[in-house]
Amino acid sequence: MSAGTGYTEYGPDICSSTLASHIMTTPQWDELADLALTRLRGAGVEYGDVRVIDSATQTIRGEDRRIAKIREGSDRGIGIRVLYRGAWGFAASSVLSLEEIPRIADQAVDIAKGSASLAIEKVHLAHEPVHRDSIVTAHRVDPFTVPLEEKTSLLLEIMDYVHRQHGIVRSAASLWAQRDRKLFVSTEGSHIDYDLLAVQGDFSATGLYDGRFATRSFTTPHLRTGYELITGTNFLAEAPRVATQAMEKVRAPIIDSGRYDLVLDPEHLSLTMHESCGHPSELDRALGYEANYAGTSFLTPDRRGNFRYGSGHVNLVADNTEPETLAATGYDDDGVACQKWDIVRDGMFVGYCTNREVALKINEGRSRGSNRADSWSSVPIVRIANIGLETGGATLDELLSDVKRGLYIEGHGSYSIDQRRYNFQFGGDAFWLIENGRRTHMVRDVIYHGITPEFWNSCDGIADRSHRRRYGFITCGKGQPGQSGWMTHAASHARFRQVQVIQGGAQT
Amino acid sequence: MTTQPSKLWPKMTGWEEFHFLTDFVLEHSSGDHTSLTLYDQHGGTTRFANNQIVQNVDTRRGSLAVTVAFGRRHGTATTTDFTAGAVQDTLKRAEHIARVSPEDPEYLPPVGPKQYLSLPTNRPETAVAGPARRLEYAREAVSQCKMENLNSAGTVSSSLTAVGVAANTGLLAYEERTEARFSLTVQADDATGWAAAAHRSIDHLKVQERTLTAIEKAKRGADEPKELEAGRYTVILEPAAVAGLLSWMLWMLDAKSFDKGTSPFVGKLGQRIIDRRLTLRNQPDHADLLGSGFTSDGLPVTESVWIEGGVLKQLMYDRFTAREHGIEPIATLESPCLSGERPAGSRVSDLIRTTQRGILVTNFWYIRTVNPTDLTLTGMTRDGTFLVENGEIVTAVRNFRFHESPLRAFNQIDAFTAPAEAVTSETGKLLVPAMRIHNFNFSSVTRF
Repeated sequence: MSAGTGYTEYGPDICSSTLASHIMTTPQWDELADLALTRLRGAGVEYGDVRVIDSATQTIRGEDRRIAKIREGSDRGIGIRVLYRGAWGFAASSVLSLEEIPRIADQAVDIAKGSASLAIEKVHLAHEPVHRDSIVTAHRVDPFTVPLEEKTSLLLEIMDYVHRQHGIVRSAASLWAQRDRKLFVSTEGSHIDYDLLAVQGDFSATGLYDGRFATRSFTTPHLRTGYELITGTNFLAEAPRVATQAMEKVRAPIIDSGRYDLVLDPEHLSLTMHESCGHPSELDRALGYEANYAGTSFLTPDRRGNFRYGSGHVNLVADNTEPETLAATGYDDDGVACQKWDIVRDGMFVGYCTNREVALKINEGRSRGSNRADSWSSVPIVRIANIGLETGGATLDELLSDVKRGLYIEGHGSYSIDQRRYNFQFGGDAFWLIENGRRTHMVRDVIYHGITPEFWNSCDGIADRSHRRRYGFITCGKGQPGQSGWMTHAASHARFRQVQVIQGGAQT
Repeated sequence: MTTQPSKLWPKMTGWEEFHFLTDFVLEHSSGDHTSLTLYDQHGGTTRFANNQIVQNVDTRRGSLAVTVAFGRRHGTATTTDFTAGAVQDTLKRAEHIARVSPEDPEYLPPVGPKQYLSLPTNRPETAVAGPARRLEYAREAVSQCKMENLNSAGTVSSSLTAVGVAANTGLLAYEERTEARFSLTVQADDATGWAAAAHRSIDHLKVQERTLTAIEKAKRGADEPKELEAGRYTVILEPAAVAGLLSWMLWMLDAKSFDKGTSPFVGKLGQRIIDRRLTLRNQPDHADLLGSGFTSDGLPVTESVWIEGGVLKQLMYDRFTAREHGIEPIATLESPCLSGERPAGSRVSDLIRTTQRGILVTNFWYIRTVNPTDLTLTGMTRDGTFLVENGEIVTAVRNFRFHESPLRAFNQIDAFTAPAEAVTSETGKLLVPAMRIHNFNFSSVTRF
């Protein structure tokens, strides 16, 4: 795309025409960005960047066989970040005008001056080459051109299928798409424009039995692609299975607490990896930047290269270059090119997710390119990369066949982890008992818990690449004010030995 | 409610501008029903860690949502661009969505004109507090921690938001709301202490007092924490920890789920669900709560009783479910206050002094549902967990994971204090007592 596409040229602000308010002109994005950079350079900043973003989001949500909400959002604005005397300042506005840009540029500089007054250690940025590029999400069908009627019909049909199952009392189904048009420019000379897409669909069924209720869910991954993700998914074939399993789940027996072998499916593992590997590998957390909210990390810098995080089977790789994944955006919000690197190699903790500021603090000369903001109004912070579990050589049947008494877990359920990412607890969306190498029947209310490195050291088998699946996250909470991070986690099935399992109920 | 537009630049959308915007949208709309919602916020956050500022932001974000309905077909479009063309475009998008949407059997037209409580939601001292005031408070907290050779991390934030709701039914509501927040985590070696505040007035954050509280907790935990076995303990939950458990109860009061049988409160309306001494009220005019005059639907907020003498009296109704049940007016719950008869005192220390053996919990973290049927929750203790013996704090202990339902725990209450301000990173602001609870289930222990 060319910068400036997506800016609608209309007349003056409807309030300003009579009440002297915001917008008097209709400049192009490059004009706004140049004005901001000129202002920053004039103020003598050490570094400055400008992001102009127009995010279009479409959300269609069905509930209990009706379309409850269709909402199209347009979220547009500019964020200016400066480094002045070794301290940060940031200002942002949804008012895109030639009058507003100098105000927020000056304010960002003033704020940085305030930050500098309380500085102990000056911020320095790791070197990054200047980039001039244009990034476009490859897609066949633009999700915003697909008629709404087609989408609402699909959701209503899915919910109808779900309710054909006796005992189902509630259903939900939704489709989501987002387009981000963005321009990034910096005082170093980088100029990158983006036209990014992301798409996802899901549904669920809730069954009621004997005073209990349980929900079974289905989701596509969130991927950077077009509507072909939705048309390529056979929702109507999945709906009867999901509804049947919702009733099977609510009627299933509970199990005794104790130690079980676990075989976890890729969707379930995406959350386990996210919480127990992704977050502790964020270097800003390890350095205390998130101590007041998201927490710190047990993976402290002194442990890099000498801490056994998992068994020799465990290789966790950050890959922000894999096509279609959420963090594969070409460049991060520091203007650093996306990369691929190891977090855990042969079970040893070896690498962090970093940005240009914190990379230097562990003597890495270049950022890993994991600095992201969730909108024009947010300042970029270190984010989990697309961290995935490298595949092994087994089939799923082979993993199951070596389990005498265990549990097979699919999908996401309850999840919680301490602020240093040691003590975790996970549920799941569906559970099956494994007896003598075979999945026998569903069970319910399963919760497993453990200590992160003990858990990953109990991994003794990973399925091959044919089992690999990807799942995206768009609501990863971090930062103050809170931001939603986007990343994809890929894995095949994996087996863990003798994990502590408890019943998920108040009687425990 | 404030009707005077702010004098700040960039100029906030004031009452007259919102009125103008409403007329513009309604005049151009072809819908049977048209409504619009305004959020125009100017605010910022100063964030510090390792005793210096790591993030310092100031943001202006205006947002307008337009909803159009033709019969029972409806659609919503939003924009952050208030130019005439963009607003028209937003209206056209909403009209298009509504035209092609299937009929929604639960659609209801927007509410008509209403009378609202006039509340002092806009505090001028917060509205004019910019980066300089936030920096001043950050410096105060950091300086106190540095004097004690402790490490601090926290935030100071302030904002002014213009909120408006209007529709062609005659609905027209506008309010300016300020909010200021402070939170601080103090680190002493491996131990942490924490305190937080939220208020309409930035003058009421009590930064110095709360910084001292966090420092004291961190220093108490600085010695090697003792590891106790998981199990059932008597606990003293400080107000923030009580707020964490109570908030999950309140979020599950949805009446539609109740009707469908997918609520933990099925069969419990009109029944005693918590200790009979406790009553939960909505108190929108309480000076220490973040009350507002109206909801996002344009409904007036109400003073209401939700739990009385431990008995569940009220559910959370959406407008459709309320109509099905003939409920009018709909009770709202933005400003919860849980209070009880015969409190054991006003401070947490009043509970500590009379405890033979128990665990003092400053706060919970990462609370999530484990079992929605009986509302079993899990989460971790955080930022100050101590062993109390014979009326005194004797040592810090390693943090526990809990596995417990508030519907069970709040029936095991031995004593409680008068309600106090409580706000956490995962809840809104509430007034709740500290509580001493027996047989609270800690299911595992972590490494620190």
